[in-house]
Amino acid sequence: MEDSKYLKISEINSYIKSLLDHDGFLNKVYLKGEISNFKNHTTGHLYFSLKDDSSRINAVMFSRDALNLTFKPEDGMNVLVEGRISAYPAQGSYQVYVEKMEVDGLGILYIEYEKLKKRLAAEGLFNPEAKKSIPRFPEKIGVVTASTGAAVRDIMSTIKRRYPICEVILFPSLVQGKEAAPNIVNQIKRADEFGVDTIIVGRGGGSIEDLWAFNEEIVARAIYECKTPIISAVGHEIDWTIADFVADLRAPTPTGAAEMAVPTILDINNILDNLKIRLNKNIKNMINTKFITLRSLKNNFVLKNPRAMYEVKMQKFSSLVENLSNDLQKILLKKQTDFEKLGESYILKNPLSLIDNKKSKYDLLVNTLKLVNPLNILDKGYSLVKVDNKLIKSSKDLKLKDEINIKFSEGEIKAIVKEINNG
Amino acid sequence: MEKSFENALSELEAIVKELESGNVELDDAINKYTEAMQLVKFCNEKLNSATKKVNEILTMDNELKEFDVEKES
Repeated sequence: MEDSKYLKISEINSYIKSLLDHDGFLNKVYLKGEISNFKNHTTGHLYFSLKDDSSRINAVMFSRDALNLTFKPEDGMNVLVEGRISAYPAQGSYQVYVEKMEVDGLGILYIEYEKLKKRLAAEGLFNPEAKKSIPRFPEKIGVVTASTGAAVRDIMSTIKRRYPICEVILFPSLVQGKEAAPNIVNQIKRADEFGVDTIIVGRGGGSIEDLWAFNEEIVARAIYECKTPIISAVGHEIDWTIADFVADLRAPTPTGAAEMAVPTILDINNILDNLKIRLNKNIKNMINTKFITLRSLKNNFVLKNPRAMYEVKMQKFSSLVENLSNDLQKILLKKQTDFEKLGESYILKNPLSLIDNKKSKYDLLVNTLKLVNPLNILDKGYSLVKVDNKLIKSSKDLKLKDEINIKFSEGEIKAIVKEINNG
Repeated sequence: MEKSFENALSELEAIVKELESGNVELDDAINKYTEAMQLVKFCNEKLNSATKKVNEILTMDNELKEFDVEKES
């Protein structure tokens, strides 16, 4: 019959179930995952899924096993389960039948860690610009850690070895357990108030639970608020706690923190030697350069031949003197010529001519005077008539019997007017 | 207050850098050089004469006590 090669659904599901049930490995599995779609059925059975980032599996825990649970399962919880894998033929699905289940502590811690880290990062507690620089040459270092154990020994011996002139003060603290976080916070505050250059906060290696105090928010905030620079040193290289993110500097180990906190005396001596060498080299170079400049100045032509400096002046001077005497001679020559010209003048050569001239002028004047002398007229036969020394020019000026004086060219007489004829 | 080692070293470094910049007059440079050599001396003395400090522990009674790390651990 053609039908015989077709199986019923229940038949194939039963077959699959029998395959799973007979697999030795699937009879006992240990799984870890996160609970989701959790349902607490009225019958007391628990139905849920277990998942990781990329996959999921259905899970059921029957009430008789669920009774032994020490916690209340819920969505999002990370759990470790023990059980077997089988199929549920009615649904055609396979699932894990959980027999034992416990909280995956690490998972929970990890979630808390991630949540806190995200929150504090958003708040800016890890910002690089909030980080203080670590003093290069501290004189006092505070150490917040347990007073016993490898961490304190490593830190102190490393500092003593590298930089013995540094004072180390321990602020003893619990570093694990419930009391650790508040204790660490308190000791950080004390160290800050005490006044040290750098604080090292940390502990040696341990499980994530051992280191947990350093993932607590109060510790993170105490580190952030501390005014003194803090170097964190929690556990080993691979352990990154919240404290490490907040600290101004994170050291991989306590020994590493001590190395970061102090230089070695040798380093400083090297630095000093190096500075000294640079100083000496610099000042020598500077002085050498000045010497070279000085030498080249000294070899300068003028300085080497100081006479050259005034030789030029001398030349100029003598040419000036020469010019001057030339000019002077020219002037003298001209004056002499002028003088000679004067000596040859007519007047100086014929000084008597001057007198001759004056005499003829004089004679001329005398003659002229002679010509104009009124008395000269008398020589020609004219005479002058005067009354009381007053010259009479008309007969009208005379009266009868007036006494008149008549002056002739030679001699004079007195007469009396006898007749007047005013003609 | 006495100059701290760190300050002295910083000053020293600053002077060396300044001198190396070449922007210093000779007279000034010689003064700075003298000052720098005094700082070198100061640093050396501070380094070499400093007595080794003991480790201490600040107890909860605010008492500073010597702390012997080997004995405690």
